[in-house]
Amino acid sequence: MKVYDVVPGLEFEPERDFEQSPAWFLDGTHSVPPWTPMFGWFWINFCRHGMQYGAEKLSLPTVKGWDWRFHNGGGYLTLLLVKTEEEKRRREVEFRKAIMPFIQDFDGLWGGFVKEVLGLYEHLKKTDPDTATNIDLLQNFEDTINTCRRMWEIHMYMMYGVYTAYILFENICRDVAKIDDTSPLFHKLVSGFDNKVFQVDRKLWEFSKRAQQEGLADVFLKNEASAIKSKLEATDKGKAFMKDFTALMNEDGWRMQRMSEINLPTWVEDPSPALVNVKQFLQKGGDFNLDEERKKITEERLAAEKEVLGKVPQEQKGWFQQLMKLAQKSGVFSEEHDHYLDLYTHAMMRRSALGLGKRFAKLGALDDPEDIFFLIPDEVRRAGINPDQFNLRYIVDRRKAEWKEWQKTPNPPAFLKEGFDLNQAMGVLVQSMDPIALKVVVGSMPQVRPELKADLYGICGSPGVAEGTARVIMTEDELHLVQEGDILVAATTSPSWTPVFSMIKGVIVDRGASLSHAAIVGREYGIPVVMNVFEGTAKIKSGQRIKVDANLGVVFILN
Amino acid sequence: MGPLDPLLSRRKGLNPMASKWIYWFEELGSKDNDLVGKKCANLGEMTRLGMRVPPGFAVCVSGYEQFMEQSGAGEEIRRYVKDSARGFKEVEKQIEASRTIRGIIESKPMPYDMKKELDACYDKLCARIGIDRVRVAVRSSGAVSMPGQMETFLNVLGKDAVSNHVIKVWGSAFTARAIAFRLEKGMDMQKAPIGVAVLKMVNAKSAGVVLTVLPTTGDTSKVVVEGNWGLGESVVSGEVNPDHFLIDKETLDIESTVNEKTKMVVYRSSGTATVEVPRDMRSKSCLTGEEIQEIVRVSLDVEKYFNTPQDMEWVVDLDLPFPQNVFWVQARPAKFSKKKQDDAEYIAELMTRVFKF
Repeated sequence: MKVYDVVPGLEFEPERDFEQSPAWFLDGTHSVPPWTPMFGWFWINFCRHGMQYGAEKLSLPTVKGWDWRFHNGGGYLTLLLVKTEEEKRRREVEFRKAIMPFIQDFDGLWGGFVKEVLGLYEHLKKTDPDTATNIDLLQNFEDTINTCRRMWEIHMYMMYGVYTAYILFENICRDVAKIDDTSPLFHKLVSGFDNKVFQVDRKLWEFSKRAQQEGLADVFLKNEASAIKSKLEATDKGKAFMKDFTALMNEDGWRMQRMSEINLPTWVEDPSPALVNVKQFLQKGGDFNLDEERKKITEERLAAEKEVLGKVPQEQKGWFQQLMKLAQKSGVFSEEHDHYLDLYTHAMMRRSALGLGKRFAKLGALDDPEDIFFLIPDEVRRAGINPDQFNLRYIVDRRKAEWKEWQKTPNPPAFLKEGFDLNQAMGVLVQSMDPIALKVVVGSMPQVRPELKADLYGICGSPGVAEGTARVIMTEDELHLVQEGDILVAATTSPSWTPVFSMIKGVIVDRGASLSHAAIVGREYGIPVVMNVFEGTAKIKSGQRIKVDANLGVVFILN
Repeated sequence: MGPLDPLLSRRKGLNPMASKWIYWFEELGSKDNDLVGKKCANLGEMTRLGMRVPPGFAVCVSGYEQFMEQSGAGEEIRRYVKDSARGFKEVEKQIEASRTIRGIIESKPMPYDMKKELDACYDKLCARIGIDRVRVAVRSSGAVSMPGQMETFLNVLGKDAVSNHVIKVWGSAFTARAIAFRLEKGMDMQKAPIGVAVLKMVNAKSAGVVLTVLPTTGDTSKVVVEGNWGLGESVVSGEVNPDHFLIDKETLDIESTVNEKTKMVVYRSSGTATVEVPRDMRSKSCLTGEEIQEIVRVSLDVEKYFNTPQDMEWVVDLDLPFPQNVFWVQARPAKFSKKKQDDAEYIAELMTRVFKF
């Protein structure tokens, strides 16, 4: 029996919610495995708020963002469609004005937001969770809630604007150059750009060089991930190394191991995942791939730009080039926002909540600091100032038991009203013209070309052909199994997977579109990526020899 | 309750015959894509805007589903697919499956109640036009893009022929490629979101396009009309050098360039054919001055209504008097057309078009 809702007012309730919409989709990218109650509360409330805020600020003509519900740790979403043609036309007029900042000064816009959120994070970091008073600690938590809310506003406003530009560029390319986001030439047009995530990777690579030079390589190569830190700290050289490494973590390590959850340590608390990245660079040896590749890819991009521009009539070149620049920035934004927005904010949420958790445990409201993740903000507030006066264990016990149950049975991929099937539901998504739904959730549907006799059909995320050993990776804690030269097979990938891209020859993902993580990073590393094969992780076994032909969007299983 | 309502209420009914599965074009609009498919929804929207569209009606997606259930075709296909589920990997097998499934569908007569309703609509269409047995086109109208061609039948005459050809259009949803696609996606074999448009054949004297923006320069102060004798295919495909009329939106002055038109496309008893243009017609304008004015007038109304330049297709009927002879078969926002405005404003304008279906 449930004592109370995890996300009050936004728990999925079939009778009422099917009145509003006949189809609710599970956000499989972010809410599998099921969320802890506290993380779910933040996501459902504020991602929901951010999408409606972004769609409204931009006055998107056909869609008013998404609505979200919580069910057993899963996030379920549906679209809020604009209902009448009159309203669509009214919104179009506003949209034309609202989209201008993206076109006129994208760098100023995104740069301004980055500055704003970094300011919010700095403010939060000023509170030391170990020494702050109860009142200050609670205030820090309230500020974190507001930071998260603001982060989602920026996130979705930017994402809607950027993706609209990207889709337009694709449409225009289809008309003028007969290429779209499934064609290698198109991908060359949008590759060869640096971003924050790659810059962090490069710094990790530099640490691998330093370890080599200072004779510390064996500490990495001969020890398990969890032991590297303590072994390093046993020597003076290693201590100095760890000191600088910790400084990097404090600067850029505000990342979560799982992007959308707060119950695992950040790199700041536990640098092991980052040290594993250093280890993988050492195992691989040689130069930082990205630098060699970047030069080649940039040249290819310039050639592709020339080729496509040659097809554009002289009078049209001006705006076409301006639009192309904007579309090229979409990929950079797609990667960078994970770092500056989601990952950083979630790290701040963990920092603040865990600070309170420790205080609660110390003063008697909870047993374990991490039990705070089983509470929601109203319950935290109850004991915030006087944790010694309250006992919140009865809530934690029930919620934790429920949460453990959630982990046992996967949430269904969609809730559909009786008489409504998945095809119809997908049709509604397509018709919403919602840029995020199109580019992230739906993607382009692969075309089956029986004459190729391939084992899997997908779409091109990054051009190229490769043959190698398949490595099926389902979760991030299996990433250390990836070997040099493997072809990675995954359901989907996220920013913390980026470093393994320097080791592998190709990527196959079950779901994805041209602005998904795997596609963007694959293009920058110059390796083939085939996406939307749906059954890659089911059909391919680790160790099999496979051939990826991303130019054709197909995969062959060779044995 | 949102825009999904028509779809839901249609599906809720216990007795399938109780729900409406045929609509006249004037009852439809662009929001009805799910109900009747894109083509029919577009014809409905144009009718609603007061454009003269060849009169006709739309058979809903639900009509197809009713047919599959009531005729037993759905069950037969389900059984066939189940028995040979492993056998569709090779192209040859898919071609065979396509032939078998289309055979199953086409072998079924239209169920009695459905036939009665369809006949009544055809009779009503004939009565509206004032011809005993009117020639119609039976066109597929998909609700979502599916790989593979769906068919169109021209010059269909009489009630029985109409219902037979509606069934043929339904069957055409099962090309070999479409079958492979469904297998890959795990989609239900006997389902297909396909509507059918049944509309009067226009006896085309001439046909062509009108753009309310110059595609080469993006100049929005002019309208360009291009046309040829016969059907519009020759103009759309760029096979011939069509007549070219440039009209100033302010003054409505017409600058005519009448070209030598040697070929044209005409209807045959089934399908179309390219034939020689009779000698005496080759260097004659395919439109009269008043026809050009009517085409321009309507195109500017539509441009104003949607607040964006239009790319539209027109047909002029040989038998009817002006202005009842000017028909419209397509209207969509013009692509890739630069306006006289700065680049940023133009990009913003193009971005709004991303949201137009």
